[in-house]
Amino acid sequence: MSTKSTSLRDDLTITDERLRTIAVYVGLYGMAALFLLPYLYMFATSFMTRELVYSDVPHLIPWDVTLYWYEYLLTNSLIDMWTVNTLILAGVTTLVVLVIDAMIAYSLTRLDWPGRRVIFAVIVASFMVPGIVNLVPVYIIVSELGLVNSVWGVVLPSAANPLGVFMLVQFFKDIPEELEEAARLDGFSRLRIFTHIILPLMRSALAALGLFIFIWTWNAFVWPLLILQSETMYTLPIGLVTLQDNMGVTEPGVIMTSAVIASVPLLIVFLVMQKHLVKAVEMQGTTK
Amino acid sequence: MAQANQQPDSGDSRGLDLSKSSTRELLAGVSFSIPYLIIAGLFLFGPLLLALYMSLHDWNALDPGQSEFIGLDNYQILLSDPDFWSALWNTVYFVVLTVPLIVVGSLLLALGVNRDVKGKWFLRTVFFSPYVLTVAVVGLLWADIFSSSGLVPYYVGGGNWLTSHDLAMPAIAIATIWWQLAFNFIILLAARQNVSDRLYEAAKLDGASTWRMMRDITIPQMQNPLIFVVIVTFVGSFQVFGQPFIMTDGGPSFSTTTIVLYLYETAFTGRDFGYAAAVGYVLFMILIAVSATSYYFLGGDRK
Repeated sequence: MSTKSTSLRDDLTITDERLRTIAVYVGLYGMAALFLLPYLYMFATSFMTRELVYSDVPHLIPWDVTLYWYEYLLTNSLIDMWTVNTLILAGVTTLVVLVIDAMIAYSLTRLDWPGRRVIFAVIVASFMVPGIVNLVPVYIIVSELGLVNSVWGVVLPSAANPLGVFMLVQFFKDIPEELEEAARLDGFSRLRIFTHIILPLMRSALAALGLFIFIWTWNAFVWPLLILQSETMYTLPIGLVTLQDNMGVTEPGVIMTSAVIASVPLLIVFLVMQKHLVKAVEMQGTTK
Repeated sequence: MAQANQQPDSGDSRGLDLSKSSTRELLAGVSFSIPYLIIAGLFLFGPLLLALYMSLHDWNALDPGQSEFIGLDNYQILLSDPDFWSALWNTVYFVVLTVPLIVVGSLLLALGVNRDVKGKWFLRTVFFSPYVLTVAVVGLLWADIFSSSGLVPYYVGGGNWLTSHDLAMPAIAIATIWWQLAFNFIILLAARQNVSDRLYEAAKLDGASTWRMMRDITIPQMQNPLIFVVIVTFVGSFQVFGQPFIMTDGGPSFSTTTIVLYLYETAFTGRDFGYAAAVGYVLFMILIAVSATSYYFLGGDRK
């Protein structure tokens, strides 16, 4: 687009620009269509009649709409129970993580005591530990504690979340000292400062972290798979996988419908709270 | 707080009243940290030591007290274990299939969505959405798409991908790319939005091409987030478990058994906990080496 070009060249560059714009649109929207295809297949299959599901040609449009698979799942599986289990587990984990992560982040940033820097360094270093290295020993510890097949056996091992501490430390650092100074002079205890000043100020950071932990727990797979051993205790991800094994044959209708039931709650949360989730992800990218 | 102590406890005389206030500060600091530290000790740091200890023993799952110390034997066996090596190569193959495509794909999509296009919100939502799916849904959904009566064999060919020696891993890789692109896309989109527009305006005045602007402005300015994305994707792909576990169960004939899947089966099917712990530690070393190498190689130490 240099200003010294002739009018002919101007024309050319404009078409260049136009071509480029068209290419960008085609590329982006083409990719978006490809990304949406699996969703379309999942939702469509869950509403299709058996004839359509088993026809020779794979269908993407449910010409014959039925709720058969939903009824089938609700009467022949514990999927409603699994949903409740998942909700409880994700809720409890989120609460525990927020409380203990906020407490230690406050202690590391707002209280002045020897050793806190070392502790923070150790927490940051523990990022580098891939969870899978601890799979076997944590399983042994959990079974020694008698927590196999219990909610706490799933919650506690994921409760000490270094990522959460790290994210909150970045935020707690930026609280102005003056607020606390004033409260201290008024004789507030540190606990009261924490609950009445720090936590309310940090609401949005805690919400972003909470949302992130909730989604992460809702979807957790490896650990619940090991710990939850009775069908009534399963979470959705574990239940879904066992459904396939229990039926012997692959029933796309059943599998896709269970996938819809497991993902719709989170997709709704996602659409409603996308901004917070983007923030939670950005927090991780910028902090490391 | 500032009760009737011997000295007045004022905020700015920190050095003077060490005795009372710092003891209290220490007490408060420790009590606020203790819940996290106990849980982390029990489920994060303790297990790390226990894993090392286990890897040096012929671990007796029924009666841990009867475990026999065998030094580095587990590691020696592992190095000559053909299954371990094929699991390692399968994992490396998976990493090669996924990491470049996820990184380059998320970068291109982030740069595209950052442009002045219509429907930004829609595009961002679509590319970010798989992030909230569980691996169980991703695995089952794509297993169905690649199965003999599924979409891909019908429109693309190749029969049932998941039972084909050559196509099973690519199928798992495609599912993974669709699922894992989201996180990196958001990170890189934020990083791109942080690059100052002034740099581009100046370059435009100099008549720089799009390609040159990308090479000399965009990429260098986004260096740190890019390194972060590469390392996170590397480490994530190296630990792949759920997708092969659900889609192929490591088959056909071991071709999609990854290291973590091998570790899992060694521990919970074979009940060989000591050996599984050794596999875990070797994986740990590999991941540290990979992270350090990519950090160094990508020039993470110069800003």
